[in-house]
Amino acid sequence: MGGVDVGDGGGKKRATNSDINMIPFIDLLMVTIAFLLITAVWVTNSRMNADAQVPGPPDPNKELTPQTPEKVLNLHIGESEFGLVWKQGATVVNEVKVNKSPVELGDASSKIIRYPELAKRIEEEWKTHGGHRDPSDKKVDQAILHTDNRTPFKEIVAVLDALYSPKREMRLPDGNKQVPVFNMTFSVR
Amino acid sequence: MDRFNPKHHKNPHAHVIHQPGRRLMKGVPLRFVWNKVSGHGARSPNAGLNLVSFIDFLIVTVIFLLMSFSASGEIAVDKNVKLPKAENVDDIIDAPMVAVNGNQILVDGALAGSTRAIEELGRLQKIDELFNLLKNKRELWKQVQPNKPFPGVCILQVDQNVPALVVKSVFQTAAFAGYPNVSFMVGKLPKSQ
Repeated sequence: MGGVDVGDGGGKKRATNSDINMIPFIDLLMVTIAFLLITAVWVTNSRMNADAQVPGPPDPNKELTPQTPEKVLNLHIGESEFGLVWKQGATVVNEVKVNKSPVELGDASSKIIRYPELAKRIEEEWKTHGGHRDPSDKKVDQAILHTDNRTPFKEIVAVLDALYSPKREMRLPDGNKQVPVFNMTFSVR
Repeated sequence: MDRFNPKHHKNPHAHVIHQPGRRLMKGVPLRFVWNKVSGHGARSPNAGLNLVSFIDFLIVTVIFLLMSFSASGEIAVDKNVKLPKAENVDDIIDAPMVAVNGNQILVDGALAGSTRAIEELGRLQKIDELFNLLKNKRELWKQVQPNKPFPGVCILQVDQNVPALVVKSVFQTAAFAGYPNVSFMVGKLPKSQ
């Protein structure tokens, strides 16, 4: 037990050594641990961003000036290959095909698909054609995902994971941060 | 020898409440046993347990758990939704949750459409119930916080086997309802490199 020893009082005085009862303290610690363990969140979920590209209402005070359209990466998910097409407006700037070579992780019940080859190719493409690279640039390049209506969502997420794999530095009010170079939206036709 | 007899109390009610004290070997009416027990013999048989290291361990555990404690609590994931996993992800934020499983669409637990109906129709469509629920949520948010700009963020919990047609329909409906910044909830995978 915990105690305070102030030496021998001497003579016939009451002993000055006093014991602190540690049992309630240990009980309190045990109850705190039990509470924290019960309320702990063990499963961590995260999110992947997408942007529906809805234009806002036009500002009546602002004069409309014609702007050259930005280069946009169109990512086509095919049966056996991916198509990476850079377009500026309706003009095709560059087009490459990447073979579908999935890497499967996990066991049969919880199989996870990854496309590392696609991620590498997307990064190379962005380095060549990407428009927003400066850390002070708050905008990111846009990618449009074209996929068949029957594609399962897990495959879309695998492609999105590859798309968000290349990162660049962005200067934000709370310091520099690594952000994905693309933001994604669906092609809806 | 009377004091070695366990039944030596004069008071007939004394057996009900006893003064606290040593009880070990009290039933043995032998002087050398009592001497041994009360410490008059050689070493005291009472062994003290050092609790300092135990308390240290408990305090370290409490500090660790307090530091990793999340006051916002667990984010409810529909039990019929099996989320896909990804590496390049962001932290979750507080936003309306749209759960999409193999049969139905739910907004914060309220039914907002049927997945089967979209699949059977076979084309992209606006889901009216989902649109109305999200629109109501948006208007409520604006009434509660009139001076703040609406963030327009909602989170989709989509089952990993749901077809792209359903995902695109929900995505587009959310955008029409004023939520253009859609996030997909995924499980977090550790970084491979």
